[in-house]
Amino acid sequence: MSHERKSNSKRARAYCFSVTTLAVIIWAVSAPSELSQKAVADLPAGPMQAKATTACLECHEARIILQQRLSKAAWTKEVDKMVKWGAVVDANDRDALIDYLSLNFSPDQPEYAPPRTSGERTSWKK
Amino acid sequence: MRSRRNFLKQMSGAALAIGAAPSVFTWALPQPQSDSIDMPGEDGLIVRSFRFVDLETPVEYFNTWLTPVSHFFVRNHMHEPSELNGNLANNDWRLTVDGEVDKPLTLTFSELSKLETHTVVNTLECAGNGRSLHRPQVPGIQWGKGAVGTARFSGPRLQDVLQRAGIKPTGKHVMFRGLDEVPGKVPPFIRSIPIEKALDSDTLVATHMNGAPLTKHHGFPARALVPGWIGAASCKWLTKIKILDSEFVGNFMSPGYRFPNQPGKPGEAVKPEDTHPLTVLNVKSVISGPLDGASLKAGKVAVQGAAWAGESNIVQVEVSTDGGLRWNRASLGRDQARYAWRLWAYEWKASSGDYIILSRATDSEGRTQPANPLWNPSGYLYNAVDQVKIHVA
Repeated sequence: MSHERKSNSKRARAYCFSVTTLAVIIWAVSAPSELSQKAVADLPAGPMQAKATTACLECHEARIILQQRLSKAAWTKEVDKMVKWGAVVDANDRDALIDYLSLNFSPDQPEYAPPRTSGERTSWKK
Repeated sequence: MRSRRNFLKQMSGAALAIGAAPSVFTWALPQPQSDSIDMPGEDGLIVRSFRFVDLETPVEYFNTWLTPVSHFFVRNHMHEPSELNGNLANNDWRLTVDGEVDKPLTLTFSELSKLETHTVVNTLECAGNGRSLHRPQVPGIQWGKGAVGTARFSGPRLQDVLQRAGIKPTGKHVMFRGLDEVPGKVPPFIRSIPIEKALDSDTLVATHMNGAPLTKHHGFPARALVPGWIGAASCKWLTKIKILDSEFVGNFMSPGYRFPNQPGKPGEAVKPEDTHPLTVLNVKSVISGPLDGASLKAGKVAVQGAAWAGESNIVQVEVSTDGGLRWNRASLGRDQARYAWRLWAYEWKASSGDYIILSRATDSEGRTQPANPLWNPSGYLYNAVDQVKIHVA
């Protein structure tokens, strides 16, 4: 079981890496010449992806969500708090949004692997 | 075009660095990262969030008494002020002091800079440091062990600023407001500290960190520096100080930044009336090497790290190399200051096998790190005995 999860997460990392590499190449070719810092992540696919993006990512980026591992009860509290703090969620979408977050970011999901900032560490190549 | 090339160069540098790293360090490195994000001045930090900015220091950086600014964790609750960009020449930054005072005050940066400067070496730690280690998990930035660092902060004493305004006898708490920008209807990040701590001669309106002007991520041009207390007390981009007759009422005083009066069972809800505001930091140690998951050669191994205790002093750090059966006293580093961590090291003769290495600090009040974390609903003040699992070949 745990081995399977490990290799799955390895595959996921490899996938993330290739997607990121591709994104970087596309960005480097197409971006305007100013150095952009738009290094924000996306929410996972699902029926609520678009609505969650609009509701949540107006104020903060996806990583704030990607790193959480919470029960449905905890997600319910978070969603209701964020609605109070200005997140625009249609009353009819509330339950589906809670389901989407609980499904993708439950305590049994593998730990989120955050990126690092570049900088002087790149000088290790010397 | 030039900047695009630089970016690509940095990206390929980062990829190369991952390959080259094992020959540079004897300890195993954390999992190679799938990407890196360019943030000028922030060197190899863990990106918990890019917008707003929350950066964590990897534990392997905790091998110097003073943490370079480029390695220092960043905790923002909101977006950084868009108006301040490192140059005050064309800026209308002001610091106001009002509320329970005899004469409200407004200071320009040059007026603030004319006050006598005082320096404090302080270990600054986010109250949520270690949150990701709590079980069950709790919401919030999922800090590992590195939302902490030590720097030399300098600037005028807060008491000198407050005394210029003259505190009325009714003034009991001091509220700080920064210039960070509030998204949506989020409550602004405003907190207060009791007047006694505000008037302590080590509490500063800091303008410098490690001898250089504060960077924007660390609160340029001025921040509160409340030594020994949770990081949230040390308001960044400080622009307003208000003297109050009672504690500030707002989200970041309650329900935010509060701790249960009595330890409860993990996962159990706590009533607001059974909590108190967080103030001083706990006794704590972190192992900076060897790293968790490392594979080492048999022989001499330096187990090392840092230990701190808020307003108290570290008196002892012990290391166990057998999962906690026997404890050995580590030697403490020479550098010390009242609110600063002590580096520590224990030389261990390792023979082949799998090990759980533990570290445990004790402070001058007799407090010792607990074996198990004190779970609380927001995951504050994690300070359980630290541990790493390693393999010796």
